[in-house]
Amino acid sequence: MIKKISYAVGVLALLFGLWGVYVRLFEGEQSANYGSYISWGLWVAIYLFLAGVSAGAYMLATFDYLFNVPQFKGTGKTMLWASLVTLPAGLASIGMDLGHMERIWKVYLQPNFTSFLALMVWGYTIFLILIAISLYLAIKAPEKAALKAVMWIGFVVSILVAGGVGFLLGGNAARMYWHVGLLPVQFPVFAIASGAALMLLLVGWFMPSLDGKQRGDLLWLLAIISIATSVAKLYFLLADFTQSLYGGAVDNVIAVQSVLTGPYRFSFWVVQIVIGLLIPLLVLPQPKLAKNGFVAGLMGLFLLIGYVAARILIVVPGQIPEMMPGQAEVFHGPKLSLAYTPSLMEWSVTSAVLGFAILGILIGMDYLLDYLTRVMEAKK
Amino acid sequence: MSTKESKPTISRRDFLKLSGVAGATVAFLGSLPQAQNVLAKVQVEGGNFEAKPENQLYTVCLQCNTGCGIKVKILEGMAAKIDGNPYSPWTLWPHIPYETPVKEVATLEGAICPKGQAGIQTAYDPYRIVSVLKRKPGTKRGEGKWITIPFDQAIREIVEGGDLFGEGHVDGLRAVRALTDTEVAAKMAAAVKAIWGEKDSAKKKELVKKFQEDFKDYLDALIDPEHPDLGPKNNQFMFVWGRMKGGREDFTHRFFQEAFGTINMNGHTTICQGSLYFTGKAMSAKWNPATGSFDSGDKFYWQVDTANSEFVIYVGVNLFDSNYGPPQRVPKATEAIVSGRKFAVIDPRMSKLAAKAWKWVPIKPGQDIAFALGMIRWMLENGRYNADYLAIANKAAADAAGEPNYTNATWLVKIKDGVPEKHLRASEIGLVEKVTETNADGKEVTVYVTPDGTRFTSDVPVILVNGQPVAFDPVDPKAAPVVGDLLFSGKIGDFEVKTGLQILLESAQEHTLAEWAEIAGVAENDIIEIAAEFTSHGRKAAADIHRGPSQHTNGFYNNNAWYVVNLLIGNFDYKGGVIKASTYDRKGGKPGQPFPVDKMFGDHHFTAFGLDMLRTKTTYEKSTLFDGTYPTKRPWFPIATDIYQEDIPSIGDAYPYPIKVLMTYMSALPYSVPGGQKIIEILADTKKVPLHIACDIMIGETSMYADYIFPDLSYLERWEFHGSHPSVPWKVENVRQPVISIPGWPTVKVFGEEIPMSYEALLLAIAEQLELPGFGPNGFGEGKPLTRPEHFYLKQVANIAFGEKEDGSDAVPEADDEELEFFRAARRHLPKSFFDEEVWKATVGDESLWRRVVYVLNRGGRYEAFEKGYKGDKVAHPYGRLVNLYQEKTATLINTMTGKPFVGYLKYISPALSSTGEEIQSDGYDLHLLTYKTITMAKARGISNYWTLAVLPEGYLYMNSRDAQRLGLRDGDLVRIVSASNPEGVYDLQNGKKHPIVGRVKVIEGIRPGVVAFPLGFGHWASGAADVEIDGKIVKGDPRRAVPLMANGAMQLDPVLGNSPLTDIVGGSAVFYDSKVRVEKV
Amino acid sequence: MTEANLLEKYASEVFAGLVAPVAEGLEISALSAEDLPAKEDALVRMERELKRALEKPVSERRWVMVIDLRRCVGCNACTVACVAENKLPPGVVYRPVITEEIGTYPNVTMRFLPRPCMQCDKPPCTEVCPVTATYKNEEGIVVIDYEQCIGCRACMAACPYGARTFDFGYYYLEQLPVLDETIVGMETASGYEHASQEYGRAWKREKRHDSPIGNVRKCHFCLHRIKDGILPACVTTCIGRATYFGDANDPDSLVSELISQPNVIRLKEELGTEPRVYYIV
Ligand SMILES: Nc1nc2c(c(=O)[nH]1)N[C@H]1C(S)=C(S)[C@@H](COP(=O)(O)OP(=O)(O)OC[C@H]3O[C@@H](n4cnc5c(=O)[nH]c(N)nc54)[C@H](O)[C@@H]3O)O[C@H]1N2
Ligand SMILES: Nc1nc2c(c(=O)[nH]1)N[C@H]1C(S)=C(S)[C@@H](COP(=O)(O)OP(=O)(O)OC[C@H]3O[C@@H](n4cnc5c(=O)[nH]c(N)nc54)[C@H](O)[C@@H]3O)O[C@H]1N2
Ligand code: SF4
Ligand code: SF4
Ligand code: SF4
Ligand code: SF4
Ligand code: SF4
Ligand SMILES: [Mo]
Repeated sequence: MIKKISYAVGVLALLFGLWGVYVRLFEGEQSANYGSYISWGLWVAIYLFLAGVSAGAYMLATFDYLFNVPQFKGTGKTMLWASLVTLPAGLASIGMDLGHMERIWKVYLQPNFTSFLALMVWGYTIFLILIAISLYLAIKAPEKAALKAVMWIGFVVSILVAGGVGFLLGGNAARMYWHVGLLPVQFPVFAIASGAALMLLLVGWFMPSLDGKQRGDLLWLLAIISIATSVAKLYFLLADFTQSLYGGAVDNVIAVQSVLTGPYRFSFWVVQIVIGLLIPLLVLPQPKLAKNGFVAGLMGLFLLIGYVAARILIVVPGQIPEMMPGQAEVFHGPKLSLAYTPSLMEWSVTSAVLGFAILGILIGMDYLLDYLTRVMEAKK
Repeated sequence: MSTKESKPTISRRDFLKLSGVAGATVAFLGSLPQAQNVLAKVQVEGGNFEAKPENQLYTVCLQCNTGCGIKVKILEGMAAKIDGNPYSPWTLWPHIPYETPVKEVATLEGAICPKGQAGIQTAYDPYRIVSVLKRKPGTKRGEGKWITIPFDQAIREIVEGGDLFGEGHVDGLRAVRALTDTEVAAKMAAAVKAIWGEKDSAKKKELVKKFQEDFKDYLDALIDPEHPDLGPKNNQFMFVWGRMKGGREDFTHRFFQEAFGTINMNGHTTICQGSLYFTGKAMSAKWNPATGSFDSGDKFYWQVDTANSEFVIYVGVNLFDSNYGPPQRVPKATEAIVSGRKFAVIDPRMSKLAAKAWKWVPIKPGQDIAFALGMIRWMLENGRYNADYLAIANKAAADAAGEPNYTNATWLVKIKDGVPEKHLRASEIGLVEKVTETNADGKEVTVYVTPDGTRFTSDVPVILVNGQPVAFDPVDPKAAPVVGDLLFSGKIGDFEVKTGLQILLESAQEHTLAEWAEIAGVAENDIIEIAAEFTSHGRKAAADIHRGPSQHTNGFYNNNAWYVVNLLIGNFDYKGGVIKASTYDRKGGKPGQPFPVDKMFGDHHFTAFGLDMLRTKTTYEKSTLFDGTYPTKRPWFPIATDIYQEDIPSIGDAYPYPIKVLMTYMSALPYSVPGGQKIIEILADTKKVPLHIACDIMIGETSMYADYIFPDLSYLERWEFHGSHPSVPWKVENVRQPVISIPGWPTVKVFGEEIPMSYEALLLAIAEQLELPGFGPNGFGEGKPLTRPEHFYLKQVANIAFGEKEDGSDAVPEADDEELEFFRAARRHLPKSFFDEEVWKATVGDESLWRRVVYVLNRGGRYEAFEKGYKGDKVAHPYGRLVNLYQEKTATLINTMTGKPFVGYLKYISPALSSTGEEIQSDGYDLHLLTYKTITMAKARGISNYWTLAVLPEGYLYMNSRDAQRLGLRDGDLVRIVSASNPEGVYDLQNGKKHPIVGRVKVIEGIRPGVVAFPLGFGHWASGAADVEIDGKIVKGDPRRAVPLMANGAMQLDPVLGNSPLTDIVGGSAVFYDSKVRVEKV
Repeated sequence: MTEANLLEKYASEVFAGLVAPVAEGLEISALSAEDLPAKEDALVRMERELKRALEKPVSERRWVMVIDLRRCVGCNACTVACVAENKLPPGVVYRPVITEEIGTYPNVTMRFLPRPCMQCDKPPCTEVCPVTATYKNEEGIVVIDYEQCIGCRACMAACPYGARTFDFGYYYLEQLPVLDETIVGMETASGYEHASQEYGRAWKREKRHDSPIGNVRKCHFCLHRIKDGILPACVTTCIGRATYFGDANDPDSLVSELISQPNVIRLKEELGTEPRVYYIV
């Protein structure tokens, strides 16, 4: 039932998304709401989110293949697959954000390695290849040392890229709000957290195959990881905000206030805090609930939604303070606004990206992985 | 006459192909070998088109009326960039030597303002019309439904008339031009002059009778045979223009007055600086030694020599945002700022200028006169004025003292019942004896002789020298120099007399300094400090005034007050004082000049005569309409002319007579005039305005109420001579010339010539159809054609090039071959109808003169050398004659709304009075509404310039935070502006639509509490702001042009006249600053 | 003072000689050479100095801009001149003039702050560019190679002066009526919108994806003008004569004189960006 609904959601998301993708590709970026002052919006946030999920999923796969955590037995392939699907989805999201995406090849052939963006593109490309190899080996010869070796590399890279994305924002001295909180340190943690959340969802909803006992224990373990990371996140949040508000640097105060009391207060208090943190923090510590597949899956979903909100609320508010206060009042024109809420087109494109991810994961779990396994078996 | 229906169907891209350097260019230049070389050079060199003289044309900006010289850079046949013309004193300070070769200034450019930069968008405005539009028969005026018709048909219809709109017969211009015989017209004109000259009413009547007999065969050509002084029916063709400059002005005058024969052609002076001009006119009244009375002065005004003043008081002058104008005056003011020279700004609103001032005085609107009188009292009582200068009583004494001018401060004035009247005349106290004698050639002449034998040609004024009355000749430089006692009040003979200065002193002593400050709403100390500073710089201090003091019902006296302040330190014609403009004579009036165009007439020219619609050509008392009763239906204007706000209401009241055809040009009457909604009512009424022809570049706020609109050329495509402004000391003439032509711009055939569709085409075509004198193959005389605009304008350029010395020693150099090459190459993109070297050369004739003309055109005008602007501590081109501190002429003129004479001296008169002098009732309206100009907008015309709209996209209502608080308003709140005159707060467009007077509030600190202000230029309902229908197709309006706010409609109407705004009856100003309003949140 | 003694006062003055028109209380300032205003317009001088600088090898020039805030009257001529010069589309601006009102009535004033690109010597905007599309060129000016730029906007986020805006492909005249037969119409009118000559070449910018559409854009000190000896557009059109441009390596240049004064500042010095735009306060 849940699966049917999920498939339906995935398909609908993709369909609604196609319109946005068409508009973006053939009519350009005018119907997006990001502009010259708030130049990074929803798509960049979704990219950060999915990149994190991908890295997180990979890290959790290592629990199976590297650290042989019993509860994770047999989940590795699924998580690698999830990682393999979510990363391209994330890259697609940022790709849509480029004014000239047809020139993306330049990043490979004419890269500027002082640019973290360039490094990230390279990093994630390498990571993508590693995921693919890992999955290939995992299917072909899970027992061989080769897999372990590759997974070790992948594990390290996943941490690096996760941190790197953090630096993309955090390295920007001009934008206090990004600069204060040690984003490069925070992001790997977020990565594991979002990976765990995804796994809660997948295990809770789509992995009846696991026998009841292991499933329960796994869910409980994931619950504990989620609780731990959520607490960590909450701490980071408090640290950043109090630091910003006490520090009193104008730019920071403006940004933080936009989140706490300003235009983004709903996304923050309701979506990020209540749905994304409080509810899971109330539900998951109760073993009975946590071990219930449906509830656990739902909490996973809530946590993921929370993370999406969190990403948006890092990316956007950081750009609200004017670099030259007053600039927006002295020259007027389209895309010269200090207010940002994603346009329908932006949502549509994002919906395509997420639809792709959902379907990709489901199809993989239901058919592709088994099919591939069988193919490999046959080869032997 | 036949139109070549070349419509602009060429799309931009095709056009680029056509005119690209490789394309049309070379083809066109095939005929001009040298030019091709220049071009070859361009091609090999490549590089930035901007840097090449062959891509640069010099002309004159008209985005606002400052008229800065500009350099237009041409790329692929289009104007691609506009910058300042370095030869022009407007854009460089000092400007470069006129003789600098053009190729040497290819990379040098002067500074122009943002509007000037955006001019391209005025020329290439999608909403510009390219075909003649006719009001769609069966639709109402202003409804916005049009059909295009061929130019020739349009001309035929307006000339021959007929049932043009299915609304019954409409008289055409032929019918209106009832009097065609130019000789009869001349005789009638003389007869009317006699009638007006006759003081005795009985004799007047006889003269009228005689007129009716003498011209009995022509009486039906008169508007009213009972009142022959109303003139011929020709006068029922009325021409009203907004912005028109030299050249076109002369062409217009030739057409309307000397060819068609109507007396009615009026400009927009009174909504502009209005009274400023007419205060200047009154103060410059000229003593006529033959008649012993004053002839009227010149319509002009003085401004401050911005560069050299050590201290300036800017009174209602918006120097950094508007005025004449930012590029020309700002650099001088900012130089003063950094070099520590002070200036004060008196303005209820903190202008950008005030923001940088030593002192900002947020005065009560309209009370500038009180502030000035306070200063005057302090200056007189503390001896802080130039007594020696003021004591000089005549030209001879001025010469002796090395003074450029003099005043009548010492001339005795007769006082009757405490009221100053005329100057005492020598004969009245027996100083001279009137004798008639026969002169050399046996004529009887009256002379006035003193006991010691001094003879005067007329009865001269009197001064006291050490208490002894002395008769003197005011103007004769060879007469005895006299210096008079400055203050006297007492009896001489049996006359109560006072000196002019005495009258001023008493006027200033009407109130104490504290009281004056109170009235002006300022601190007493402000008056003293500013007066002290003002009188600490000799002649190098000055008060500069503009619309702020001028556009009030007491505008004339506000202005007079500040000119008197200047007069007290004698800074007129002094470097750093107040100065006047001077230009080269384009009309060829000076001996030796090649083309006296005014006098060059083929057939006899017509002598237009009679009373004009604005009642300015004579006084009520002299006219046959005078019946001894006051008030008149509408005011008469014995001093002011071009009273813009009176044009349409006078038509509405058919006073003094109804008109049949109205032609409007470059005017936005309903928009730009206070209370414009009343103007719309009349324009929309086909009974009151039977036929309305407009010439416009778009469907504007006035032309939307026209029956026919003829497309005009923009300022980048046409000829004009922009002249100068009083703050410019140098002798100049700015030449506006065609530098581009819009791809596919239509041409028409007139007198067999193919010329661009334009204002000139319209007038030439009418002239051809009506066979008017002064136009056509022999328009300038046998074999001297006036069939193309160039025929007229190039002759004027030739006059400028020749200069003003009979022997030609004042001529500009001849352009050498290289300059001639640039001249051609830079015009390679212009079609033959715009530029045809052979035609141009032929109209000038002489080769040497032609080369001088090229020299001037290559520089966009003629500009005197920088050093020549001053002679020692004075300006090189002084005003140089009597300045009337006391205005005898003014004092003898009657305000026809009260029957009382005007006040002829500086006396406190409060603002905001009705035409009959009553106070305006405005209870319940708590805010004082002002308006001003912002640098990015020019008039009604700025709205098409999207580049400047990006800086300021909308006009706000600026309000002090205290008022906002009081009214509970916040930044950005929408409010409706209502007043006693417009309680609904709307413009009724008379087409079923109502345009709201609604705008957004901007809360600021920099404005006097109780005062609100809005900038000019926004809040359009035409000019591309609204949808119109042409040939059944909808032309969609652009919302960017419809943004708020225009609040002229909320301004106070004159309660007596009802259909026109408050007006300064003396100086003519339309009143923009005496309105009380209320704002209502919407 | 009573009228009586006023009278005798003047009576005496009347004879105080016509010849020297000096009245009591008025010291008529003597005329001297320096009475003549500025001997040469700064624009003329700077243009000459520009030509001089162009004769030197590129490496020896150091282009700087100096803005005298005392002279700036907030007219926006520079803003619009820049838009006109570079045919900037809606939403793109290189040189806004930031305007603020200071104080409370009646003690109020205004401050105007023009903000071109600072052409930082340590530009945070360039290092973040993934494809080196924006870099400090041999003239020391931070340029953008429109053909190289992938439009990621990282440089916008990195600029502490908000000097970069993105070209989303708008036109000022788009959507206006065409109707060739009756009005000039958008088609015929819009030519100038496609006439940008930035970096010394034509940018027709006609199709949706034609660079600089989809690129970040910024002030480039009018490289295309200075290479031909024309001062930047915002400089030549500055009616307040508040903006100066020239070679700071030329000790005799106007800009060198100006930046050697004590009242010179640079914006956000603390960030270590080393701007090449100096402000006189
Ligand atoms: N940008 C721009 N410049 C222009 C023009 C334009 O349209 N736009 N037009 C040109 C033309 S045609 C003209 S006539 C000139 C006009 O030149 P100005 O008269 O200098 O310009 P305005 O903007 O009309 O300024 C009127 C000033 O008077 C102030 N004021 C209002 N009431 C009073 C008062 O009672 N007392 C005092 N002391 N001040 C008062 C207003 O606040 C405003 O600052 O500008 C010319 N220059
Ligand atoms: N609120 C407010 N109102 C004001 C002022 C103010 O400061 N505040 N200032 C006043 C002043 S100083 C003045 S001078 C007046 C000016 O007001 P007007 O003299 O009435 O004229 P403009 O506003 O210049 O509008 C001219 C009209 O002519 C048309 N036009 C534009 N260009 C051309 C052209 O090249 N050829 C032809 N044939 N027609 C053209 C357009 O329809 C345009 O609307 O406004 C006055 N009104
Ligand atoms: S001041 Fe007026 S004339 Fe001079 S450039 Fe600006 S708009 Fe043109
Ligand atoms: S101002 Fe901004 S864009 Fe310009 S160089 Fe500095 S950092 Fe780069
Ligand atoms: S937007 Fe263009 S210039 Fe800026 S960083 Fe991205 S690629 Fe480089
Ligand atoms: S230097 Fe050129 S590009 Fe830079 S702001 Fe000035 S005009 Fe614009
Ligand atoms: S042009 Fe000059 S005076 Fe005007 S705003 Fe720009 S810098 Fe200031
Ligand atoms: Mo005006």
